[in-house]
Amino acid sequence: MATATMTFARVKVQRRFGLLLRVTIIVALLALASLPLVLGGDVWAQRISRAAIYAIIGLSINTLTGHAGQISLGHQAFVGIGAFTAAFAATRIGLPLGFGLAAGALAGMATAAIVGMVALRVTGLYLALVTLAFGLTAETTIFNWREFTGGGAGAFAPRPEILSGDRAFALLCLGVLALVLYADWRLVSTKAGRALAAVRNDERIASTLGINTTGYKLAAFSLSGLAAGLAGGLFAHWNQIVQAMDFEFQVALVWVLMTVVGGLRSRLGVVLASAFFALLPLTLPNFLAGLPWQPPFLNEAVYHVLPPFIVVVMLLVVLRFFPGGLGQLLRPATRWLTKGGKR
Amino acid sequence: MGAFFALGIFQGAVYGLLAVGIVLVYKAKRVFNFAQGEFGGVAAFAAFYLVVNLGLPYWVGIVGGLAAAVAMGLTVERVIVRPLESASRTIMLVALVGVALFTIAIIVLLGQPIPRVMPPLMAGTGLNILGAGILPQQLILLAVLAVLAAAMAWFFKTDLGLAVLASSQDTRAAQVVGISPVAISRLVWGMAALLGGIAGLLYAPVGIFTPGFMTLTMLVPAFAAAVLGGMTSLPGAFLGGIAIGVVQNLGIYLLGQQLKVPGAAELGVFALLMLVLLIRPQGLLGKEA
Repeated sequence: MATATMTFARVKVQRRFGLLLRVTIIVALLALASLPLVLGGDVWAQRISRAAIYAIIGLSINTLTGHAGQISLGHQAFVGIGAFTAAFAATRIGLPLGFGLAAGALAGMATAAIVGMVALRVTGLYLALVTLAFGLTAETTIFNWREFTGGGAGAFAPRPEILSGDRAFALLCLGVLALVLYADWRLVSTKAGRALAAVRNDERIASTLGINTTGYKLAAFSLSGLAAGLAGGLFAHWNQIVQAMDFEFQVALVWVLMTVVGGLRSRLGVVLASAFFALLPLTLPNFLAGLPWQPPFLNEAVYHVLPPFIVVVMLLVVLRFFPGGLGQLLRPATRWLTKGGKR
Repeated sequence: MGAFFALGIFQGAVYGLLAVGIVLVYKAKRVFNFAQGEFGGVAAFAAFYLVVNLGLPYWVGIVGGLAAAVAMGLTVERVIVRPLESASRTIMLVALVGVALFTIAIIVLLGQPIPRVMPPLMAGTGLNILGAGILPQQLILLAVLAVLAAAMAWFFKTDLGLAVLASSQDTRAAQVVGISPVAISRLVWGMAALLGGIAGLLYAPVGIFTPGFMTLTMLVPAFAAAVLGGMTSLPGAFLGGIAIGVVQNLGIYLLGQQLKVPGAAELGVFALLMLVLLIRPQGLLGKEA
């Protein structure tokens, strides 16, 4: 009897201690992640905004490809339309930033819904082709439409007074990211998420279960477009100028690759991989150029083409050796950290 | 307008040549080969290095370029395609997009992103066809396309070609009657790379070329050509390529020059692709399944 009580007490103590440990580690990791924002000054604040915007785009692609199993190789069109709409709302109409972002998100959603409506009549590989062709058309036609986007000169998107500081803007981007993460979590854990999983696994079986497959796929397209448009709006105000050349179709390909590297359906993996891909082109060249020893065959010009190279190597390694991406690699750690909450 | 028509036909020949390789891979493996353009890129850059940088004779450049393309095709098959054989088609497509970007990155790393001029196979001034200046190189391109499309159509009538189709339909059953899936896979990717290499070698001397020239501007029209032709039809790829070239150039003429719409070429291709997929998804000459 006495031993039983003691064992029970020890388990209890261990569990309480384990929970404490986990909470401490999570808080420590979050604190570590926020260090650059606190100590890094404006340079790092800008970089963090960019990372957050990329993470929103990654989650947007994750909604479409990860949850619904549809592919889009033209996502830069949705992001770009969101960006140009936000810029248009800010300078031509003079709307406040919040309304501009909402308009950008709605424009992205409307575009994605239209493309989705047409694209859902074709399946699988053809969808990839249609979205790729749409992205190219958007890049060359819509983004060069002078009245809307200012042609080659670009459209301005100034920030309001309160967000003119880079740190304040980074906080806004992180807040929107948190919102999108929350939406993603709610999407997955409700009926819609389970319906999307059924559609992803087998459309025919899903439809026999009474799931409106076309409706859910269209909804996934629209949601994805909404997040993409939102990210576009943030991008416009982050850069304060939007140009057609910011949305070349190679960018869309890199975004798809970063989502796959992060791991489809893994929120943490997608956010980490997106942030990494966002920061790599900004930090790697400077880092390598600042090294004390320079390899003889490398120079500054080469450092600037290294990031895409690294990205693709990562993709091929991920697909070949651990198809679940970063999320799969991190799963033991995340499972242990969140074990307490699930019970 | 006539000039645009003629330009379209010859521009379309390149799309057709790429589309023939795309159709080959699709027929045999049910995969959209987004790396098809870069087989041509590798061949063109290898040939440029041999002919211009090392000053070797032109035929060495051709042989070297094609060898480089085939080597790349076999490497891709071994390192990427075969391990992902059981993965979903979407993952395979993402991987092949990765291969294309990887190849472009390698070419940029080795050879700087500068435009280059490749000497043509046959020197000479342009011929006047319907008011457009057509280079001898472009005539060769069209002729080679016709020959290759016919040759590939004939290939699928031979025993070897039938073995490829059998393996595509049911790999296990084909294996039972002695058709090795590995050998078929190598054959298909080697041939696709050879076709892509030929396209790259023939197209590079038409104007200037930069790293990624085959993927960034050629690949989407080539896919549209393959879809228009029916995705499994080789004569379809030939006709589709030329049709896409003509539509693109008429788009440039009508939309771009008359109505001042930006990006008229891409818009034309996108509109045609959508029309085909919505009205006649099996394409001009395709059959069901």
